[in-house]
This record gives sequence, C-alpha cells and structure tokens, in this order.
Amino acid sequence: MSIEVKNLIKSFDKKVVLDDISFKVDDGKILSIVGFSGSGKSTVLKLISGLIEKDGGEIITSGGDIAMVFQYSALFDSLNVFDNISFALQERKDLRGKYTKAELEKIVAEKLEMVGLSGIEDKFPSELSGGMQKRVSFARAIVTEPKIILYDEPTAGLDPISSTLIEDYIVRLKNETNAASIVVTHQMSTIQRTADSVLMLYNGKAVFEGTPEELMQQQTPYTKQFVTAAIDGPMKMV
Amino acid sequence: MKIYYKATYTYKIFKMFLTELQSFVMTLGNIALFGTELVKGLRTFPTTYKAVMEQSSRFGVSSLPITLSIVGMTSVIIAMQIAGEMVKQGAGNYVGMLVAILMVREEGVIMAGFAIISMIGSSLASEIATMKVTEQVDAIRVLKVNPIHYLFTPRVIAGTLMMPLVVIVSSVFGVLSGAVASNLASGLTFKAYFDSVWFGLNMHDLQVCLLKSLTFGFVISLISCSCGMEAKDGAKGVGTATTKAVVWSFVAIVILDLIFAAMFFY
Repeated sequence: MSIEVKNLIKSFDKKVVLDDISFKVDDGKILSIVGFSGSGKSTVLKLISGLIEKDGGEIITSGGDIAMVFQYSALFDSLNVFDNISFALQERKDLRGKYTKAELEKIVAEKLEMVGLSGIEDKFPSELSGGMQKRVSFARAIVTEPKIILYDEPTAGLDPISSTLIEDYIVRLKNETNAASIVVTHQMSTIQRTADSVLMLYNGKAVFEGTPEELMQQQTPYTKQFVTAAIDGPMKMV
Repeated sequence: MKIYYKATYTYKIFKMFLTELQSFVMTLGNIALFGTELVKGLRTFPTTYKAVMEQSSRFGVSSLPITLSIVGMTSVIIAMQIAGEMVKQGAGNYVGMLVAILMVREEGVIMAGFAIISMIGSSLASEIATMKVTEQVDAIRVLKVNPIHYLFTPRVIAGTLMMPLVVIVSSVFGVLSGAVASNLASGLTFKAYFDSVWFGLNMHDLQVCLLKSLTFGFVISLISCSCGMEAKDGAKGVGTATTKAVVWSFVAIVILDLIFAAMFFY
C-alpha cells in the first residue's frame, strides 16, 4: 500500500466537493480518477499533496516524497530548465548544499534523458512547446525520487501525438520509479493506456470503481454515459 | 411558505461595507502572518546571496533614474518657489537649509518611496501574483520549499537594504538640484547655499532619514509581496493584487511618515 484514502470529505463555502471518498493505490500501480469538470478530481490531488486541508477522513501514505505534475506544467518561467528541474535539490531546506554543481548537472541530465529531452538545460519554459513543458515538469517531479506521483490532467490541451507520448512517459515513470500514481483525466486514451484501476466521481461521490476494461463494458448508467459521452444520463452538466 | 425580503439600498451599502472591511482585515492579517513567517525564517537565511543581489539590482539600479528625476524636480520646484522670495526678504542664507531639511526629512524618502512603489512594488506584486495564479507557488509548496522564504526573503532583504541607498543618492541629488535652481532663480551663490545646508542639517536628521528609509523599504517590499501572494482568479486577480499593493504601500508609508514625524520632530 502506498496511498490509502479513507472517507475523505472536503467542502468549499458550504458546497460539498468530496463526500466520503475512499480508495487505495499500491506501489507501481496507476489509479485514474475520472469525471466531469467540477466533480472534485483535482481537489483529491490537492488534498493528497497537502496544498489544501481536508475537512474529514484520512489520507495514509507510506512515506517518501509526493510529486505533482500540474495541469499547465507550472514551470517557473523565470528559471531555465536546469534550475527548474534541480529546484528542490537547490532550495529545499534538507537538501540545500548537499549536491555539487557537477552532481546536479548529472542528475538533471539523467532526468531529462528519462523524458527524452536531453540537452535543453539552458532553455527557458517560454522557448518550449506545451508537450515539452509537460515533460520537463515530469522531470522536475521525479528529481527527488518520489514514492507517489500525482498527475493533474497531464494530456489536457495537447495534440493526440503529444498526448500519446505523455501517456507513454507516465507508464515508463511508473515502471522505473515503482511509484504509486494517480492520474486525473477525462481523456479516454489516457485511461486506457495508463490506468490499472479507475475511480469515477460525480457530485463529490464515487460512482464507479473498477478496471479500465470494466469501465469500457459500460455496465452502469454512469460508465455508459461517460464512455459514450452522452448528454442524457444520471450525470447532469451544470 | 417562504417569505422573501427585498434588499434595501441601506442593506446593500452595509453589506458592501462589511465585505470591504472583511477584505481589509484579511489583507492586514495576511501581511502580519507572512511578515512573521519571513522574520522567523531569517535565522537560517533561506535564500542565496545571488538572489539578494539580483533583487537589489532591481530595487537600486532600476529605480534610480525615476527616483532621481522625481526628487530632483521636486527640489528644483521648491527652490524656485522659495529662493527668490527669501533673498528679497534678506533670508537668502536660509534657502539651502530649508531645501536640505525638506529633502532629508521628508521629500527624499517620501518621493523615493512613491517611485519605488510605482516601479518596483507593483512589479513585485504582479510577478508573485502571476506565479500564484499559474500554480507556480503551489509547485514550490509541493516541492517542499517554503514559498514565503523562497520568494519573500530576497525581495524584502533587498528592499530594506537598497531603500536607504536610493534615498541617500536621491536626497544628495535633490540638494544639488536645489543649489542650481536657487542660483538661477535668485542669483544665490553656491557658497551661501551650501554654508546654509551645513548649518541647518544635523546628525539626528540623517539618522531618522536612514531609519525611515529602512522601514519604508521593508514595508513596501513586504506589502507588495503579500498582496501578490493573495492573488486569485486569473488575470483579473493579478490586476487587483497589483493595485492593492500600490494603494496599501502608499497609505502605509504616509501613515508611517506621520508616526516618524510625531516621534522624532514634534
């Protein structure tokens, strides 16, 4: 077990965003959280990463760092790729001064190689395409060798080929780091190509939990509506 | 049966006032919280000299031309207005003293403050606000780095240390500009002007000027960073945060100036 969430509750201004959500993700596995916009998917990631406080329930992790890949990469635009990737190693209180410049260069080169972007250390985020920025943010996320990796809509806004590339890197990072990963998405290809299990949220509640194959079988009204992208169904768009 | 009440104008105005008051108290609270976190972190110096130098260059070098222009022109205007009259009344020997006291006690530091708020404070606020709304601040947090220490420390240290330098340079420039303006406006000799300057200025004035500029530098940079950190809701939020930083900094330094005047010159 690497992440276990029990009876998670979160509200914003009296609106319940997550209502009694529970799930588990083991090491080396990927859980895909799906659902329509506003269903509370990203809130789950923010709660696990500690960016916001929960109102109730438990989040149990097996220790180690938690990394997060943001929807729009969130690269530091005033820093070049080298400084972005080595940011935690240079600025984190417990790591500051631990690595020499040569060691940092070696680590950054290794991480860039893992995401297929060798030799771009001196470039700034504004000089990179959306897909490249996303891959640099992957490299930044794994620099401290985290035990948990959270992806917030990693393929949003990317073309189909870049999306496929990103999906391949998600699987590759899972295999190489053995981290427990959670991918928030509403893209079917991302679910099918990366996920070991799927959790569907609607109005803050879990309405489906199973494998991608079970999702595709459309055995419940929720999965049927999601997979067929139907307007009519139990899930109403606000 | 539900009873609906129509909101009266009095109610609406009262509600608007309450919302503004709530926002005011929250901003004040945030500035205090961020300031406390910053000061607590200073023990471990959670930044690099390179970062402090970069921010110092921004505060000092970038703001100097506009500060010199504003202080210089203010001094010229004051000297032009008073020199002619004072020479006519036989008080020419006091022109330098008057200009110098005004520059060192008030104009130099206040005008430099206004220039730094407009140029640097607004830029600090919008920079941090942009980082906030584009999730860069969240990314810093997830990477287990304290954003207050990382973003605020070099900026506030630079602001606090560079403000006195900017004030000293601009005050000297103001006194020199006053000499030229007095000479042109009334024929007052440079010797008479500078004799009067040395006669009028004392160490107490310079000490208060330094203390005031250190305080202003700290307050402007802290308020600007704090307002930036409060930003939310995209581009509109960045604009709101920047405006708030400028307004709060202006009001803060005027209030502080009043407190300094009451404490040291009353």
